[in-house]
Amino acid sequence: MAFEAFPPLIAAQLHYLLNHSPDSIKIENVRSGNRFNPRILDRFTLVIPYCLDTIKWDVIYNSEYPAAPPDFIFGPDDEDFMPCSSSTVDSLLDKALSEWNNQDSTLLLVLIQGLRDQYVAYQRKRVGQVDDDRVKFEISTVITRKGIEMQMTSGADKPEEVKFAVPLVMDMSINKLLVGCPWKNEQKIYLQVVYPILRKYESAPSSPRLKLVSSSDLKALFSVEDVKLPPWMDGMCLAEYLPHLEETLERQILEAVSAIALRRSFVEALTLFLGRPLEADPTFCRKASFLAASGPFPFVVHFFFPTQFPKQQPALMLQSCQHLNQLSEPVKLNLLTDYPWSPRWEVGRMAERLCDFLTDEAVNFKKYCNEALLQH
Amino acid sequence: MDDLSLEKIEIPGPTLASLIQRASSSPGDVDGLIFGQIHRIVSTTLSDDSPAQSSPSIPSSSSSSDQIVATVTSFTSSGKTFSFYDPLGRVDSLRIDSLRVDSPDRLLGWFSARRKTASRPSMRELSVSSSLSSRFQLPIENSESPNSTASSSSSVFVLLTTPLNDQLIHTHEYRAYQFRAASRRLEPRSIGIVNIGPAFRGHYGSFNPKSRFPPLLCEMSSSAMMNEDRDEGSLSAKKEAAKDQKEVDALAEGFRVGDLKRLVGAEAASYTGAIEEMYERMLAKVESLASEVEKSSARVLELENHNRKIRYRVARIER
Repeated sequence: MAFEAFPPLIAAQLHYLLNHSPDSIKIENVRSGNRFNPRILDRFTLVIPYCLDTIKWDVIYNSEYPAAPPDFIFGPDDEDFMPCSSSTVDSLLDKALSEWNNQDSTLLLVLIQGLRDQYVAYQRKRVGQVDDDRVKFEISTVITRKGIEMQMTSGADKPEEVKFAVPLVMDMSINKLLVGCPWKNEQKIYLQVVYPILRKYESAPSSPRLKLVSSSDLKALFSVEDVKLPPWMDGMCLAEYLPHLEETLERQILEAVSAIALRRSFVEALTLFLGRPLEADPTFCRKASFLAASGPFPFVVHFFFPTQFPKQQPALMLQSCQHLNQLSEPVKLNLLTDYPWSPRWEVGRMAERLCDFLTDEAVNFKKYCNEALLQH
Repeated sequence: MDDLSLEKIEIPGPTLASLIQRASSSPGDVDGLIFGQIHRIVSTTLSDDSPAQSSPSIPSSSSSSDQIVATVTSFTSSGKTFSFYDPLGRVDSLRIDSLRVDSPDRLLGWFSARRKTASRPSMRELSVSSSLSSRFQLPIENSESPNSTASSSSSVFVLLTTPLNDQLIHTHEYRAYQFRAASRRLEPRSIGIVNIGPAFRGHYGSFNPKSRFPPLLCEMSSSAMMNEDRDEGSLSAKKEAAKDQKEVDALAEGFRVGDLKRLVGAEAASYTGAIEEMYERMLAKVESLASEVEKSSARVLELENHNRKIRYRVARIER
């Protein structure tokens, strides 16, 4: 994102905010409130992750007085959120605003963090005021969990719901389990629990809706969609449900980490047959490309490894080095997943059988390429 | 009676137009104070065909339809933001006093104008309104018993914004809010634009015009009867009258109202010359005043541009 159009000191604060915030904040809707110089931007909307959803806050600077601290407009549903007029003014927030110094690029982050903390408390208070026995009980059991976030959703056309975002396996630092971890932020897995609020005439509380959510980078290692959630029994509460789920998750994460080593050894075994890879993903070993040849016909083989390797076989893609299609792109074959494979084979045997298959497939691929060339 | 809810907030068309003009002509965001009055308006439903309604008029029933209405009459703006509060939204009474200059009306609240933003009160706007209402009280004038003035610790807030995307037709938005101390919230209020017409009869009935121009005591001194009456008046009233007369004299440059008598009759021919001379002197004065204003405006603009350049340099904005 280019920030050149912002006054330099505001741009510096924005840069610092976007690069140092623990949550991945996005900026949108940049605009200018300046009459004479509408190219000088001074107001924007921040999209801040909250409770596995996002909240949008407008930040308003004044480009005519760029040294003045910004003002904030919160979402239309949050008109009761008054971080500054309440008696519980956060001293850090207070200090950042009253002793504003536009040379200090860290202050916008301090403000946003302070406001977000207040927002967490505000939503928790709102959820606490909900007249629902189950929600009240659940809050009392999980309130001590660090980093839990709650949200109350209500509206004219929406049913009233209370949402919890419960961080899971907090004791386990996934980043530390990886050698050469490329992630800047700590990867987290949350359980989203949505409680529909009972209307007076309903008697039995329906079970909450559950969903696992992870930070997007984690997909390279481990997909939470593959995790089968344990069933929610009638009359269960979160405090009973969570320990079992966390145990399962921890085991699966450890398995996913050890799967990296398996994939790596497979790639190493392939080098015996195909030579050194052209390119390979060193951290997660999810991708590797080799140069192969069938007689005088050279081609590239791309390997794509699923996280479930070796239970699921890698997908292959063949790409010619000699043939171009009408768009001047190298001729490629669709993903190949249907070939002899057994997860019970030794790694060396897997590589050997796969290369046997490749030798046969290369002949077909060459024929396919030549035909594609003749067609135009 | 400490937290009364306003029925609506009224603003005369010209005042609103000048407020919008102030907002749209300013280089950046602006804020300022708004002044006005608060009335208890008894809504009377005058209609031709239902005489039955007016017959059992007991005071208690008529007062039940009372509406408390705030009327914005004027505003001041310093042409920037943070003109009377700090970044936390705490109001500075001294700066309010210096901003309000000598507006004849009472402080009602404040306004904020910001371009391309959502038309909802911001975090700071809420704090300022809250702080303002804790320092100043809304005076409520009672038309039935003018001496008993109630007050309410709340304040009026007018928000002017422009839409996020440039639009051809709808270019300005304005909303009015009342800060309620009990709920600590800015509650939206409808804006009524005061115009001439039967719908505003109640408004005109209860409105107290206020002017800096002193009341003209037109030629009372010649009448002996009136003189006697006035002698009965208190000393302070006399002093007041003398002071007012002095102010009027200063405006008329020594020309007395009594002299107007000479415009009729035999003396008139010679006297028109003197009057013309007076008008010429006044015109010359107005002209020189106008040119002075023009010069000083140019100088103010020059200084403003200079200040902006300096501010931009400090903020390292290159234009």
